[in-house]
Amino acid sequence: MLKLLVTLLHTHFLSITIDCDYTDAADAAVEDSSLRSFSLKATPSPTGSSSKMASTTGSLKAEAPVSEGVTIPKPNSNNTDSSPKKPRAKRRTYNEIHAKSLPLEVYPLPTFIPHNPISLVRIAVSLISHSIRQPSSHIVIHKAYFSPETQSIHVTDPKFIRALWEQGFWGKGSLSRSEPHWLDQEKRRRGLDAIQTSEEHTRNRREDRRQMKLERAKAQREAIEEQLRKEGKTISDTQIADLVDEGMFTESPKGTLYATGTDKPLEVANGTQETIIKAVIEDVPSNDVSGAEINDQEHLQLTFEEAFFLSYVLGVLEVFHDDSTLQPSDLLRLFCRHSKFLTTEDPGFTGSLLQSDNNMIAPDNPFVMKYVVLHHFRSLGWVVRPGIKFACDYLLYLRGPAFNHAEFAVMIIPSYSHPYWSEDPERAAVSRKKASRDWWWLHRLNRVQTQVFKTLMLVYVEIPPPWDENNGKKVDIGNVLTRYCVRETLWKRWSVNRNRD
Amino acid sequence: MADEDEDVPNLQVQNVEDVEDEEGGQEYLRTLNKLAGTPQGGSMLSLPKRGEKDFESHSTQLQVSTLETSRAAMHSVLSWQRTHTFKNHVIAMYDEPSNMVCVEKCKTALFNTMGRSKGGKEWLLPEEALFMMERGTLDCRWPVNAEEQDQEEGSEATLNMRLGAPMSLQGAYAAFLGFEGGVGGKLTMEMYTVYAGLKRAGYVVFRHGDWDDDHAELQPHNPDASGTGPGIISRFFAELWRRLTQPTYHIPAANLAFGPLVKPGLFRSYADIYRLIHLIPAHTKSTPPQFILPPDSSNPYRIHFNVWKTSSTHKFRKANRPPPSFRVCVVNARETSIPTAAQVNDLFATVPDDPPPTTSTNIFQKLKHGKRNIILAIVDNGIPSYLTLTDASFSEEKVYERGTRAGRGKGGGRGRGGGRGRGRGRGRGK
Repeated sequence: MLKLLVTLLHTHFLSITIDCDYTDAADAAVEDSSLRSFSLKATPSPTGSSSKMASTTGSLKAEAPVSEGVTIPKPNSNNTDSSPKKPRAKRRTYNEIHAKSLPLEVYPLPTFIPHNPISLVRIAVSLISHSIRQPSSHIVIHKAYFSPETQSIHVTDPKFIRALWEQGFWGKGSLSRSEPHWLDQEKRRRGLDAIQTSEEHTRNRREDRRQMKLERAKAQREAIEEQLRKEGKTISDTQIADLVDEGMFTESPKGTLYATGTDKPLEVANGTQETIIKAVIEDVPSNDVSGAEINDQEHLQLTFEEAFFLSYVLGVLEVFHDDSTLQPSDLLRLFCRHSKFLTTEDPGFTGSLLQSDNNMIAPDNPFVMKYVVLHHFRSLGWVVRPGIKFACDYLLYLRGPAFNHAEFAVMIIPSYSHPYWSEDPERAAVSRKKASRDWWWLHRLNRVQTQVFKTLMLVYVEIPPPWDENNGKKVDIGNVLTRYCVRETLWKRWSVNRNRD
Repeated sequence: MADEDEDVPNLQVQNVEDVEDEEGGQEYLRTLNKLAGTPQGGSMLSLPKRGEKDFESHSTQLQVSTLETSRAAMHSVLSWQRTHTFKNHVIAMYDEPSNMVCVEKCKTALFNTMGRSKGGKEWLLPEEALFMMERGTLDCRWPVNAEEQDQEEGSEATLNMRLGAPMSLQGAYAAFLGFEGGVGGKLTMEMYTVYAGLKRAGYVVFRHGDWDDDHAELQPHNPDASGTGPGIISRFFAELWRRLTQPTYHIPAANLAFGPLVKPGLFRSYADIYRLIHLIPAHTKSTPPQFILPPDSSNPYRIHFNVWKTSSTHKFRKANRPPPSFRVCVVNARETSIPTAAQVNDLFATVPDDPPPTTSTNIFQKLKHGKRNIILAIVDNGIPSYLTLTDASFSEEKVYERGTRAGRGKGGGRGRGGGRGRGRGRGRGK
């Protein structure tokens, strides 16, 4: 019976296509969910379902250091084609990898199944065992250190890096686009491993698209030639050749290297930078296949806001600075000071509005404002990631970048509605200036967001009067944060022609 | 791409994002043929649609001839003679104290969506009069000498109007823009641009309120219809169930002040943790709308126009207007900056609730619809840009709760098909 199940599972995994997109992965996850529920029934433990499953399907190869969840078969492996006993590495779905939405452990009770009385027993067992020895939500406390040079928090332990990425999508790999997998990329580059990284996937897709466009242009061109021929006009044959030359050779390195690569060194010598890089990459494996273990040179960098959330709210991050652990209240001061340094030094900002010494945290400190918004959306369950690449402050993902595209682009606008800010005319003028953005700014922003299929959200953060007046005392963070108030507004172009009926 | 001439809506039917380009092109040619045959076609005449655009000339005969045909079609449309019949000649008299226009006799169907009757006469607001004059439908007259008018009080008003001096278009612009009484609003050039643009685009547009008050009326929040739904017993059990299944955790004051909010302990689900760490106050649906700013007639953010879609199903009656489809606020791009939170709040307080349809289950759909909507028309020297401003209520849509409700396998809110095919070049973002 078990054997049968195992083979069933194998065929199922093999049937999942390799061609993978994030959405594809999510779909595959849907297919897998039925299996998962089955394995849940078979194994009593509620939590480690995936690991148990790996043990049931015992002959599965030990999992590769799964990063992207996408593994493609090794081209020259001996095992792959021989027998079903040694199948390719199991592909973990994103649902399994990112099952936890926060870097904390939770212990749900086993599900109650009405027609299965044993489920009641299981609930009782787990209740009793939990009451005897209460499990903790904080199993690992991640360690990180403050890096003043890069204005970020560095996590260097690979274990912590993986955990922080997988459980809530925190931070960014210093050498990767977003998910830290420089090591996988490097291995793949040297031909040691067959894991396809998302960067590579993007590169391939771009290449395909470029190829497609070229072909489309060619087809159009040919249609015109055809028409000209029909009308009895002469065509200069060089035109097509020109197009091919310009298009196929310079624009597409694939075309140069693989299709017509008769004279390779020559091509590379006068090729674009990209082709040279490509050629170099091609050359490397021959030298380096048997190379030694690669050092992971990547670290995870957390933004101040993320680090503060992990430390102050969840308590799963210890931030070191000069060999000492920083408490959340220390972090607040530190981050505020450094975020202020980051802002442009316009005289109105520090001078006239709040003329006390530098240590005092202004209520509209950029760090505090950004943190308030991050906390707001994180506590509603959104995955909040920095949005600098999209010209906004934050991007909101529904479950995380592995599952969906971001849907909302958040831009933060301070708001000085409190009577304190309009008490004296000078202060009112300064605060008005800080809150005002012109319409061109907004349209610019909106255009960019529409282009990348995001919805623009302006979040107004209500700034309270100064709260850090008794300088030196520890800040009551909870009290301070509840003084801020946020309001979300969505902005979208409205077309006269498309709403008539 | 095609946005620069969105204010010529009838000429632009195809949009950038329309997919059926090829089909449109075919239809276009057909229309052209029809038009070329009957240059003075009369009733069945309609404006030609735009075809596909070639970006460079490639010296084929086909391209040249297509271009010629479409040019001819445009010329034939433009050369169509427009006539004013005597039957439809509308005469009106300018009334200085109210800065409005009194119409002698309504003769065109335009009055179905314009004007207001007061004292047995039909009166036109400045923007309406200006729009009709610009259209060539209205013949507005300056009033004749006051004493003369007094003498002829008893005689027929029609005769009176015909005696007035005809008003030029320049005169009309000078008279109608900016000379209105009242506190709040005077018709500005920007407002007229938006009004005329929307009218020409086929909407029904009326002024919102009187424009005389400092503030528009406060629109209270409608209590939820669902509040009356379940009975007290079922609500009691629901509450009981909630308390049983969602244990309440408390954050000690010391932890709130100095962190961490989540102490090591036993949690049954992530939703519990999320509920626990909710800290930042946000504007929610339940917050009753109220004004923040003092009443100020110079506040540019107020609803100026109510706009209705023209639907063929039921006829629009100006005496008995349905709730408007859109509410438009007109602002000058050069004199204002984007609204502050207080201005946004006050603006939203003046529009009624507009909750998303209860049938929509998609979280994005619901969030994007929001609870209150306003259209801002930002006018820069006569060019309007329309933006929808939505009061979104993210606090009501809790993503973590959704996670437990929706099956665990089926992830993303967009489900299967939606994520794809969102057009060309849809990258994987990050």
